[in-house]
Amino acid sequence: MSEGDLSARQPKAIHSALTVLEEVARSGAGVTAREVSDNLGLPRATAYRLLNLLVQDEYLVRMPDLRGFALGRKVVQLAGLVTPQPPPRAARDLIEDLRERTRGGVHLVRYDSDRMRLVDPDPDFPLSDESRILRQLESSALGRLLLAESGRASPAVTVSIRTLGYATQFGELVPARGCIAVPIRDSRGILVAGLGLSGPVERVRDPGRLLDELLRSGRDLGPLLV
Amino acid sequence: MNAPRSANALRRAIDNPPPVVGVGTESSVTGLDRRSVGFADVLAQSVSAVAPSAAATTVPIMVAVAAGSASVWAIAAAMLLCAVVASTVNQFTRRLAAAGSLYTFVAKGLGTTASSVTGVAMIIGYGVIAMFALTGAGLYLSFLLDQFAPEVAASGLVVPICILATGALCFFVLARGIRLSTRVTMLVESVSVVLIVVLVVALLAVQPAGIDGNLLNPTALLSGTVSIGDFAAGAMLAITAFVGFESSAALGVEARRPFAAIPRAVLWTVMGAGLLYLLSTYSQLVGFETLGRDIGSSTSPVNELASAYGIEWVGILLDASIATSFFACAIASTTALTRVLFSMGREGLLPNSLGHASATNRTPIVAIAAVLPVLVGVPIWLIATGGSVWFAMGILIVGAASGYVVAYILLCIAAPVFLWRIGELTLWPAIKAAVGAAGLTAVLVAFLISEGATAQGGAMWAFLVLMVVGSAGILVLRTRRPWLHQTIGMHDETVLADVLGGDRQPEPL
Repeated sequence: MSEGDLSARQPKAIHSALTVLEEVARSGAGVTAREVSDNLGLPRATAYRLLNLLVQDEYLVRMPDLRGFALGRKVVQLAGLVTPQPPPRAARDLIEDLRERTRGGVHLVRYDSDRMRLVDPDPDFPLSDESRILRQLESSALGRLLLAESGRASPAVTVSIRTLGYATQFGELVPARGCIAVPIRDSRGILVAGLGLSGPVERVRDPGRLLDELLRSGRDLGPLLV
Repeated sequence: MNAPRSANALRRAIDNPPPVVGVGTESSVTGLDRRSVGFADVLAQSVSAVAPSAAATTVPIMVAVAAGSASVWAIAAAMLLCAVVASTVNQFTRRLAAAGSLYTFVAKGLGTTASSVTGVAMIIGYGVIAMFALTGAGLYLSFLLDQFAPEVAASGLVVPICILATGALCFFVLARGIRLSTRVTMLVESVSVVLIVVLVVALLAVQPAGIDGNLLNPTALLSGTVSIGDFAAGAMLAITAFVGFESSAALGVEARRPFAAIPRAVLWTVMGAGLLYLLSTYSQLVGFETLGRDIGSSTSPVNELASAYGIEWVGILLDASIATSFFACAIASTTALTRVLFSMGREGLLPNSLGHASATNRTPIVAIAAVLPVLVGVPIWLIATGGSVWFAMGILIVGAASGYVVAYILLCIAAPVFLWRIGELTLWPAIKAAVGAAGLTAVLVAFLISEGATAQGGAMWAFLVLMVVGSAGILVLRTRRPWLHQTIGMHDETVLADVLGGDRQPEPL
């Protein structure tokens, strides 16, 4: 095989591949191989080889005209490598405001097709076990919201979320502590993010006026996050 | 290379995928079992189309008759040429997925006229090789039958009946679905390759003298003992042992990760088959030289070697393995042939019904039903008129190889044009394509000059006539249906489901 395959195996290739992906994201769907090579100042043969490798692994797809490229569905799997984008200012203000009036942790997550990413955890009330919450979706209220949306939650959880309009979890991660999660949807009603409140079980079980505020914040955050 | 700009764009795209314009929800080749077949099955398609074990036992004698002491070199040259062509085929398979393989690829580079000619060449190539394989399977089945029921096998009707039975079995496997087809072929071919390797090792192990350097000595070629024409004829016959390596490209729609699996399958097939042929040819030549006999005078060299060296039991195993290998080859070639007809049916070049895929098994059932009677009928007719099965096979293999070689030449010309059209032409692929086109043309012409007057040469002339008639027919059809310009070259386009955020996007109007 050519010397190019050798260099594609070097660690630097990962860096180059991410740079190429970033360039396709920046230029938008339909960008051509030559444009990518020009914009990045990469030698043509290198750029074409990287593009074809990324197409092979389905991080990129070719447009129907075969000249242009677009990000493939698999790019979502890179979400863990790419630090989540902080939410816009207005959304952060709204969450800060809510935190000041709440004795408990207020956390914001985003959902991709089948995973959850923490975008704005409460700095004063850290999550009990962040990696478990992100891995075992059924263990947290925020995760259950996503599972129910994609039809993967248990029937009991699904029914409870449907009737209440939000998800709950009492004492399952840490004894005597629980969590409520309200959905944040875009204009088409697709679940894009979740707002969670964690605290002692008795407060979470009977949140009173706080629940209305949480639900309203969820509705207000929708347009701010999309 | 520049440092990466902050990874903002990628992050934003993952959080809120931007709409992608110009991507539909359905591919133009919908109906086939899209993205369902894994790498092993894709590899099996190319391997079985090549039928390495059948070729490893039948081609060395054909090459040896033409190229004599330069046989190993002729096979090495054919392997090199096919590797160059495989690499050029992969310029396409890395970039687009199609059911029409070379026919679709040439359309992307040279347009619809050249593509139609390629299509005719491929239909002849795939079709005739399927006939060749069905005949071979029938012949070797009759050899097997001879071991157990000699009185039955003596009848002249046995081979035609075996061909008919094999054809019927092919129909069943092909109609049942692509997974069954590739799995059956993979199993069959792996078993037969193992048998061949065992035989070759056994043959070399019983050799009294060690490695014989004479057969690898290129002086026969350089000193003019073997003429260029003979060498080219040997190389052309050796190419017949490789043809079909590109056929996994016809599974572009059905392969799970087509842009990774197909290029790998195409190249591995050429390399693996080439090594097997070199080993097998070398061991057969050494075997005959040690015996002091001429391989060219043999009718079934491996069987003769086996009995001369006292390992007759290998003969029966070998007949079974060659019959299965031919059967696998018939299935794989018919698979590729029906995918080409399917594409042409979808595009409107051939009757629409050929582009019909069965709803239950997702196979191009009409195309399968239309071709199999022809594939079975022609060899039976050839045997009936020509008198001998070997005569029929010798005619068929040259006709098939000519079809493939013409299609490969057109592909090598199309590749750089295609790369230039999409703005991705670089130096190396252009050089490889040029070497491939020039090398194949040289071999084809040299073969025609040196063998033009023989029966096999006649097969090539018949092929050329068929080519001209077929191409002319398609060109006439095309002038009657000008809209074909828009549809020929249809491939499996990216659909919304493949695109980041495609599941969140509104359907295009």
